Amino acid sequence: MSVFYQKFERHSHGEGLKGQSTHYCAGCGHGLAHKYLADAIEELGVQDNTVLVSPVGCSVFAYYYFDTGNTQAAHGRAAAVALGHKMANPEAIVISYQGDGDLASIGLAETVAAAQLGAPITVIFINNAIYGMTGGQMAPTSLMGQSTATSPSGRNRFNGEPMKMAELIASLDGPVYVERVALFTPAGRKKAARAIKKAVRIQKEGRGYAFVEVLAECPTHLKMTPDKAEEWVKEHMLPIFPLGVKKDVEVEPWFKLPAPSFEAETFTRTVEASTQAQARFCKGFPAHLNPHDISMKLAGAGGDGAQTAAMLVAVAAINEGFDGTHIPSYGPESRGGTSYADVHVARDEVLNPASPTPDILIAFNAPSLAKFGLTVKKGGFIIYDSSVARDVKPGDPSITVVGVPFTEIAAGLGKLVVKNIVALGALQAATNLFPTETFIAAIREALKEKAKLIPLNEQAFQAGMDAAKEFLAAKQK
Amino acid sequence: MPSVEEKPKPFLVPEYCKGCGRCVNVCTKGCIAFADEINPLTGIVPIVLDLEKCTGCGLCIDACPEPYGLRAMEQGETYELQDPARLFGVRPDAAPAPVDIPARKVPLPKTQPLIIKGNYAAAVGALLAGCRHFYGYPITPSTEGAELMAKLLPKLNGVFLQAVSEVATVNHMYGTGGAGIGSLTFTSGPGFSLMLEGISYMVGSEVPGVFVNVMRGGPGLGNIAPEQSDVKLACRGLGHGHSHCITLMPSTPQEMLDYAILAFELSFKYRNPVVLLADGYLGQMTGKVQLPDYMVKPGIPGWAVYGDQGHRGNLISSIHLQETDLEKFNAHLEAKYQSMKVEARAESYLTEDAEVLLVACNTPARAAKGAVKSLRDQGIQAGLFRPITMWPFPVRQLEALLPRIRRIVVVEANAGGQIMDELRLNMSQAGVEKLPPLTYVRRFGGMLPQQTEIVDHVNSILGK
Repeated sequence: MSVFYQKFERHSHGEGLKGQSTHYCAGCGHGLAHKYLADAIEELGVQDNTVLVSPVGCSVFAYYYFDTGNTQAAHGRAAAVALGHKMANPEAIVISYQGDGDLASIGLAETVAAAQLGAPITVIFINNAIYGMTGGQMAPTSLMGQSTATSPSGRNRFNGEPMKMAELIASLDGPVYVERVALFTPAGRKKAARAIKKAVRIQKEGRGYAFVEVLAECPTHLKMTPDKAEEWVKEHMLPIFPLGVKKDVEVEPWFKLPAPSFEAETFTRTVEASTQAQARFCKGFPAHLNPHDISMKLAGAGGDGAQTAAMLVAVAAINEGFDGTHIPSYGPESRGGTSYADVHVARDEVLNPASPTPDILIAFNAPSLAKFGLTVKKGGFIIYDSSVARDVKPGDPSITVVGVPFTEIAAGLGKLVVKNIVALGALQAATNLFPTETFIAAIREALKEKAKLIPLNEQAFQAGMDAAKEFLAAKQK
Repeated sequence: MPSVEEKPKPFLVPEYCKGCGRCVNVCTKGCIAFADEINPLTGIVPIVLDLEKCTGCGLCIDACPEPYGLRAMEQGETYELQDPARLFGVRPDAAPAPVDIPARKVPLPKTQPLIIKGNYAAAVGALLAGCRHFYGYPITPSTEGAELMAKLLPKLNGVFLQAVSEVATVNHMYGTGGAGIGSLTFTSGPGFSLMLEGISYMVGSEVPGVFVNVMRGGPGLGNIAPEQSDVKLACRGLGHGHSHCITLMPSTPQEMLDYAILAFELSFKYRNPVVLLADGYLGQMTGKVQLPDYMVKPGIPGWAVYGDQGHRGNLISSIHLQETDLEKFNAHLEAKYQSMKVEARAESYLTEDAEVLLVACNTPARAAKGAVKSLRDQGIQAGLFRPITMWPFPVRQLEALLPRIRRIVVVEANAGGQIMDELRLNMSQAGVEKLPPLTYVRRFGGMLPQQTEIVDHVNSILGK
């Protein structure tokens, strides 16, 4: 009896008789299930490690009685809370003790998900076919025709058939042990006590999820004497909820959680934080483009690589010790929709990372030119794919327009996907945003896991530079 | 003489008998019957035992639903009524005093800044704060945070569990938090709504946990573009009852990381959940993020239900059945909320001589910062006040600026002015009744206020 508190101090502060007797009605099945659970915890020697999760329902106050760790859960959520405890401390023996409304109605999703996960927790399910705490309303396990406060003329098809939880849980892959027991005979009680103990032992052995459904009596709300309630369970519940072992399988214990790592070196490696300083190539902030904050927009269709190119510019900026930001904006499609990127390169801090009026626009297609061409600031740059757009005229004569056939060059290199790198080469040659080495370093860094692609990308970058220089030279003539 | 140990016979303190009679039916020897009279102490008719024919089979004991009802009588015990306090002897294994295992800092080497998006930064921040438990349900635009945790946590022997729903998520967090271990989730408006019940339970049970809500357009399914739609929910609507959480509103990827770390610290300091409100734009924004020079290795607080001997006596519950107890507990919560006011944080940008004060958070604050710069270029003395904690609202920091301020313009990304409501309500509650005229720039539905709109608005209210 040591697992029960010597005095139930949490029950009305343990005053008077409540210090030693439960809050359950005379003849209620909960008390028996509590006793068998307490015996199991004691006999298995797991009292110190046990965390009992009390539900909402008549057993909401299970924590009054068990001298173990106790957590009280929201209605229906006991299994989810139990998993939270088990994940926090895999050594804990976590027991979710729930009634029929909690487990089979409001908490059905959590119940089934926890069972299918199969992590070693023990679920004790008290099925008395009625809501006790709220005063005799219909339960998900109430029987067809059973009259309750919310089914006054008997449960009918509009309420659905009673939920057969032991069978449902046993049909899942996760559980290793599922049994339904009852309390109305001496032999049945012995079986119930054994089943509950087994369900706790399985967890102690780390074997998996165990579920015991206990058919219990609720004399108060069945409006019967306790002995009549026992008879009612036997006569009426048993045919719908047959007793017995529904599942009992041996599986290799799989639930193993090593102690979490707080090792500095593991951490920095995991988040890919480098302790080596990046090489810098810039002599200063590219103030010729904007004294403090250069805003750019890269616009195209999904798949053009605008986001990757934008990211490379932001990375290059930060590697050079400036501030850099990148914000993507996509259409709802995963592929083929619009894909815009706003990029900022700031001397100190990017104040506003959006680029409604960019200094530089890189346009991968004609719609993007049409949409953003006129937003480019005076004195700015428009760099566009001349494979798909021709004879682009700036909105203002101070704007430098550079046409480079991104697509044609990339196709010539045999890989269409490098057209964004061609565009970056053009950007370098047209604007001198950063030295070539800065871009190349950023490209190499990005491709460090796919090193064999580096030469192709370097070629693409060089080709973009060359084409832009050629275009500008031709224009000057 | 060989001694034969007798099977113990049943023993009952009549006061602990509810008279259900489950034992009467099982006794084959007819030893048990209902008494003739109502017990004056309980008002119940208990059973009476006549053990002359008792064989000590124990079936009646197995059938008794009361822990202190029918018990096996030890040799030498009598049937006399005994003092309940001494009835069962002193138990050697009563729960020990709770143990507090403190957190400690693990030094980290100096590293180059990471270049990552806001959602990733918050996830890395949580890892730095010692979080090794993530629960969540995928929802755009927060999902990258969960995806990164799914990738990184296994490498740190952590737990990543994709929950069956947001309802399950918050209850996993309740369990893990109740065990004294910090956990994180990423979510967005519709998911956050589902978590509110659980957050109320966490507040009521004083359980820590960190919620990153990457806000999107609502109501309903709305869209997945950025809004500041859940300020009201985080500050005023965290489920039922008297619930509040410290609500942080970062505006850069660096702050996503910094305030994720702070969120865990505050969550454990106050034993209360903490909400990090980001917006979809910030979640997607890539920027420079510097790691701190330490990582937290969490301990196990004394109050935790960890599932070991040192914490066996603990209880995590939000039930206070007696009205006076619940009133006392709510007063305790209120005192705790008042004590959280020292955590109010704000950033002021060019406010020393400001006459027009922009108030904004998250990404709109960056547009507002840009607008301050533009307005200053025009010769208008504009400044930005950026609450970092929306709850508690930085009342004193704003009050200090008021004497110079002629106009306040609240810039936000929701239709109803949720930030303006917080500003007015908090200032009013603090007794600051006189505010300069308030106007606003609002975009919503996924649109964010633009720098030019803010500049135009300020020019228009100044008659320029």
